[in-house]
Amino acid sequence: MPVDKMPRHGGRDAARVDLLLVAEMVDSGSRVLDVGCGDGQLLRLLASSRGVDARGLEISQKGVNQCVATGLSVIQGDADTDLADYPADAFDYVILSQTLQATRQPKAVLEHMLRIGQRAIVSFPNFGHWRIRSQILLKGRMPVTEALAYSWYDTPNIHFCTIHDFIGLVDLIGARIERAVALDRFGKKMQVSAPWWVWNLFGEQAVFTLRRR
Amino acid sequence: MSLTEEIKSYALDLPVVTVRDMVRAQAMLIDHLGIETLFCVAGGSMGGMQVLQWVASYPERVFSAMPIAAAHKHSSQNIAFHEVGRQAIMADPDWRGGRYLEAGVQPIKGLAVARMAAHITYMSDEALHRKFGRKLQNRLAPTFSFDADFQIESYLRHQGKSFVERFDANSYLYVTRAMDYFDLAGDYDGSLALAFRGTKTRFCVVSFTSDWLFPTSDSRAIVHALNAGGASVSFVEIETDKGHDAFLTDVPELLTTTRGFLEAAARARGLARLKE
Repeated sequence: MPVDKMPRHGGRDAARVDLLLVAEMVDSGSRVLDVGCGDGQLLRLLASSRGVDARGLEISQKGVNQCVATGLSVIQGDADTDLADYPADAFDYVILSQTLQATRQPKAVLEHMLRIGQRAIVSFPNFGHWRIRSQILLKGRMPVTEALAYSWYDTPNIHFCTIHDFIGLVDLIGARIERAVALDRFGKKMQVSAPWWVWNLFGEQAVFTLRRR
Repeated sequence: MSLTEEIKSYALDLPVVTVRDMVRAQAMLIDHLGIETLFCVAGGSMGGMQVLQWVASYPERVFSAMPIAAAHKHSSQNIAFHEVGRQAIMADPDWRGGRYLEAGVQPIKGLAVARMAAHITYMSDEALHRKFGRKLQNRLAPTFSFDADFQIESYLRHQGKSFVERFDANSYLYVTRAMDYFDLAGDYDGSLALAFRGTKTRFCVVSFTSDWLFPTSDSRAIVHALNAGGASVSFVEIETDKGHDAFLTDVPELLTTTRGFLEAAARARGLARLKE
């Protein structure tokens, strides 16, 4: 996703929490591809804190330039078309941070991620959050929140899903959920013991680690 | 026989030189200089072809590589443009079958036309519009003659004229031919990925949006092959209307990209930070 179109979260801290969460799920010294790496914030975090071999794919020239200028190995390209060119098992992790909803074919992208990498880590905003539901239900309008501050006509986010929807897609492509974390609107991790419907209603962000079955 | 006499007598008798030959000569030079590995091999256009050849021929001797506005093979269209240039030279009566030095003449008209045709391919339509449009050269109205009425004509004529003062016609034939024959994958069973298999060289591939001679798709093909081999590769397509020649001009984004790439490579190599 273009850097200037990165989702505007409830402040920088929430975005930061998301990156830290994703980074936590990556083993040190592994090979990582960050799809939609933006200006390379996550890649730099991974390289410095976990010593990973960090590579990126980014659609915006501005983002790629920022990455390369700071010494990251990043390729300018489109997740929807260019993941097909990567060989199978090239990476330990393929990460899609806050980008799934901006892809044209989320299912194909996810399938490619699991082909290219041993594991896929996906973080996305949960469209099933009660604040979003209530906007449609009560106002009868497409939701605009602090975290998703676009109007329907100018949003790069064309494929929103709820946590429930995402789990359905994971089942459909025959992948296994290895880890899942949901964050409430204050960026706090929700109780692991809470049932999915609670996550789906109160989780503002979700991060999943997937494996091939 | 003096060196000059010797060169005169060769004309076109020398074998055709390839990009691989050029790189081999460069490798022999650094051997002679006692240089084991190169920190970075960088180049644009044919220089970019040499960069790719360097990594393919001497993978252990290249720490980082920067092919700019390059391709792993010369396209049919590019061979076609080169052939037009060569035919222009050979059609000049002063070319004398390549033995113009012996005759004490130069095929300057043919070489100038070759350069004019080539120069068009280095620029984008957009930039030509911006710089020249349909503007007239030192006159208020068109003369309806075959004079250089338009600025673009005058500009091209100037490019052709100044080129013949610094370039030899037969050299032009040899150099364009070297590019035509370049097909790196062809040397590796048609697989470009094989040419780069197991490479540890760090790559930064650069293309320009308005370059239609070596378009971005050419650079992407290189990137895909490097990716398939798991190489460390960055790829930047720089937005500019300056066409193929962009790498010779002042494009700030090319400078920041180069700086970032080289600095990271220097860190990986354990070299001190580059000076401002």
